[in-house]
Amino acid sequence: MHREIRDHIEDVLAGSQPCTPEHLNQCEECSTEVRGMQEQTALIRELRAPEDFAADLRPGFYARVMERIEAEGPISIWNLFIESAFGRRIAVASLALALLIGIYVVTSERAAEEATIALESQQVTTEQTFVVGEDAPAREITRVDQSQTDESSQDAVLANLVTYREQ
Amino acid sequence: MDHKTSEEAALVRRVQARDEMAFREVVERYQSKVFSIIFGILRNRNDAEDIAQQVFAKVYFSIKNFDFRSSLLTWIYKITVNECYDYLRKKRVRKLVYESDFSQEDAQRMEASEPAVDASVPADTRLAQRDLILKLLSKVSEEERSLILLKEVEGHSVEELAGMTGLNENTIKVKLFRTRQKLLRAAGRLTRTR
Repeated sequence: MHREIRDHIEDVLAGSQPCTPEHLNQCEECSTEVRGMQEQTALIRELRAPEDFAADLRPGFYARVMERIEAEGPISIWNLFIESAFGRRIAVASLALALLIGIYVVTSERAAEEATIALESQQVTTEQTFVVGEDAPAREITRVDQSQTDESSQDAVLANLVTYREQ
Repeated sequence: MDHKTSEEAALVRRVQARDEMAFREVVERYQSKVFSIIFGILRNRNDAEDIAQQVFAKVYFSIKNFDFRSSLLTWIYKITVNECYDYLRKKRVRKLVYESDFSQEDAQRMEASEPAVDASVPADTRLAQRDLILKLLSKVSEEERSLILLKEVEGHSVEELAGMTGLNENTIKVKLFRTRQKLLRAAGRLTRTR
């Protein structure tokens, strides 16, 4: 819209412009825009309430307002989260995130347990070297066979039992 | 206009100090105005009182933040319009008035009490037009919405608006013009998507 119309647009829309600026008759762009604004202004003016609307208000309005104020109490920071749509969205998103983290933790723990069980059931044959102190000779434990360890512990128990009976 | 030294400012300060008599005076002074703003926008008598109560509850709790830059009426007007738009959002009202909450009494009143409305336009067309303009007004900022409603619905002049808001007349004119342009663009977008 050109400046000469823009500067007087409120007067044109209010109908207080004594005569329509000459420019409007010559400029299609400005006249189209002004027509659109006039139509919208007419629609906005329809939001006026009827003159007699306030006349039949129910008495005791102030008392009802005070009841409401007492019921609501002061606005706390939590109300913003509980009552507003944004707060509810944050709560839902937090719950969803907590759920995802929970699922992740449970499934990863289960996988770790399964891996441990698999390792335990396997016969472990590892070579380990323990060095005890600087001067101590290196002790080498080679090929610790789990089944052999079990058998030897069973033998030890039997030997203890026999010794006990003999006593 | 200095909003800090007026009689209204003294009243506001008393409300800020939690003087209940002063708050009662504010409610009684502005309740008719608030009701008519709400009914003008929503045309729903059943919910008008509920929203009006909510408006004054907000006034009570928020008045300590009132900074005297505008008049009390301008501030209450803004709260009222925002409450109406909150109501529309909550109810997800696409059509402004449904049969369920638009009573026969309201319909008759609407038909009878709007001399400015062209009687040749059918009621459902008028309702659709109201729905459209409310949608368009939801596309501009709270300040722009209040300003154009104060101008066109309440009938205040640019000079009066300058006094009420504490802005100068040129700023008001520029803000109104930009709002009108935004509304036109929003209408254009809405028409293209339909």
